[in-house]
Amino acid sequence: MNNIIIKTENLEKIYGKSQVKTHALKGVSMEIPRGSFSCIIGPSGHGKSTLLHLIGGLDKPTKGDVFIDGVNIAELSKAEIAEIRAKKIGFVFQFFNLLGNLTALENIQAAMMFGKVAPKEQKERALELLALVGLADKANAKPGELSGGQQQRVSIARALANDPDILLMDEPTGNLDSESEQEVLKHIAEIHKTGKTIAIVTHSNEIAQQAEMVFEVRDGTLKV
Amino acid sequence: MSILKLVARNLLRRKGRFVFTLLGITIGMASFVALLSIGGNMQNEVTRQAYALGGNFVIVPDDLCVYNQIGIITGEAISESLDFGAFERIAAIEGLTVIPHLTQRTAIQNATVTVTGMLPAETKAFRGWEMYAGEYFASQDQQAVVIGQGTRNRFDLEVGDELTIRGEAFPIIGILAATNSNDDVTLHIPLAIAQRVFEREGRISFMSAIVDNMERVDEYATAIMNVANVNVATNEQLLNSVLMILGSVNVTLQAVAGVALIAAAFGIINTMMTAVFERRREIGILQAIGAKGRAIFKIFVLESGIYGLLGGIIGVGAGFLVSMFVAPIVAQNNEAMLMGVTMGSSIDVQLVITTILFSVVISIVAGLYPAWKAAKLTPVEAISYE
Repeated sequence: MNNIIIKTENLEKIYGKSQVKTHALKGVSMEIPRGSFSCIIGPSGHGKSTLLHLIGGLDKPTKGDVFIDGVNIAELSKAEIAEIRAKKIGFVFQFFNLLGNLTALENIQAAMMFGKVAPKEQKERALELLALVGLADKANAKPGELSGGQQQRVSIARALANDPDILLMDEPTGNLDSESEQEVLKHIAEIHKTGKTIAIVTHSNEIAQQAEMVFEVRDGTLKV
Repeated sequence: MSILKLVARNLLRRKGRFVFTLLGITIGMASFVALLSIGGNMQNEVTRQAYALGGNFVIVPDDLCVYNQIGIITGEAISESLDFGAFERIAAIEGLTVIPHLTQRTAIQNATVTVTGMLPAETKAFRGWEMYAGEYFASQDQQAVVIGQGTRNRFDLEVGDELTIRGEAFPIIGILAATNSNDDVTLHIPLAIAQRVFEREGRISFMSAIVDNMERVDEYATAIMNVANVNVATNEQLLNSVLMILGSVNVTLQAVAGVALIAAAFGIINTMMTAVFERRREIGILQAIGAKGRAIFKIFVLESGIYGLLGGIIGVGAGFLVSMFVAPIVAQNNEAMLMGVTMGSSIDVQLVITTILFSVVISIVAGLYPAWKAAKLTPVEAISYE
């Protein structure tokens, strides 16, 4: 098995089709080993989130390649990329991005549905994941009834719904108070111990200090 | 979790919008069903009434317009432009049984009803009337009235009650057994009495006739037209000309229903487009957690399909209810062209199924464009939407 699970080659992203174009990434090449805990840091607006979106197949690069487990997702169709997002990648966002009309349990089940987990198995597994993030008693709560920290933990449980190899997190503690931040970081560390590859975009020095690898993005390029 | 459960949660999230959009399609489908049902019932009823006329054909003044032809079927009073002499000449033709009618109007409890002057014994035999209660006329000049079941029920009348026609008292001496024709809603009095109280001495409105041999209908028609200045119309001919008019009425009704449906369909498009716009972020989240464009498309199409299914079911129910209430009002409206048509509303299973299917199809078609727009969003543009 290839030890590099995420690899980018000369990744470029240009936004805008008119004369005003934004060169968000200017040839980023990086490798992330399987099972590692890495951070992508850098000032706001310099391309960190764009890099994460391209790695996660949420957006297509203008140029260059993204390999997930050896497969170049830049060449895949939208449906094939969706399949990879469902099974191999879990996302955690700064603003949690839970579906407001579903309960915590159902949010996790929805992700399982797209990962083609049979409805019978969904509930049991979703409850296990909620227990993993310490929210077994909040299964039937809607996001609006949960604190920010709790919502982020549900969102982490959702990211794990289909047992993906990779977890991509965009400022997961950026919207939390310090107590909630510690709680979330504790869970991330525990998840990492299970062998998941975790890549986090962050401004937090505390997270960056825990990381095994740190990539700094400035002006759309990787600072070595 | 299943797509259907997700769709149900989405629909019920904004209950107000759900209800109002559903109302749009429900009203559209209800008017569709009500108008179609009323139109269909008018045709059925006219056909039934035409066959209930008895006889093989009617003899009418040669200048009778189509409006008045409808009047014969629906039992409305029509002009008395034939003279009794014509009846006598026609009645003398061998092989022909003919009865005259003089139709006029009067009012009971401020509602207009039709009075028919007829030859009691001949008409009873011709029509095959039987008595439900009381007695039938004993003579040609008995000043009394025999009513039908419809009149009895409508005005709560019984044998022994008295009606006033043109200022004169007419005791109700008998009630006919139900005939399921206009005879049920008409006041029957002897012809001579009718001619006197309505000051139409020697006049009649039209005649009904039976021939002894159907193969010789044409011969009889010629013979009749030779002895009097009249037109002969078979019940079929009469029916066809009325149905032709009703056909165009129905087309108009269907066009109105069509407009209602188109408005409802645009209501769904509008709701779904708003939903796509509002839920861009959610669409992005679904994509981020692995939903393919196909799944997003399916979610939105299902949502609009459910509007159609529910709207269709409720609309069909509401439509039939409306037609049940409206049909009698149309029937009793004296100014309406179809006065006297005792319309009921029957539930046509084929109409029910077709309407619900139609509603679902229209709604799905209305949801296609919004669903396509939703499926086309890229995850990052959707998720970045604030």
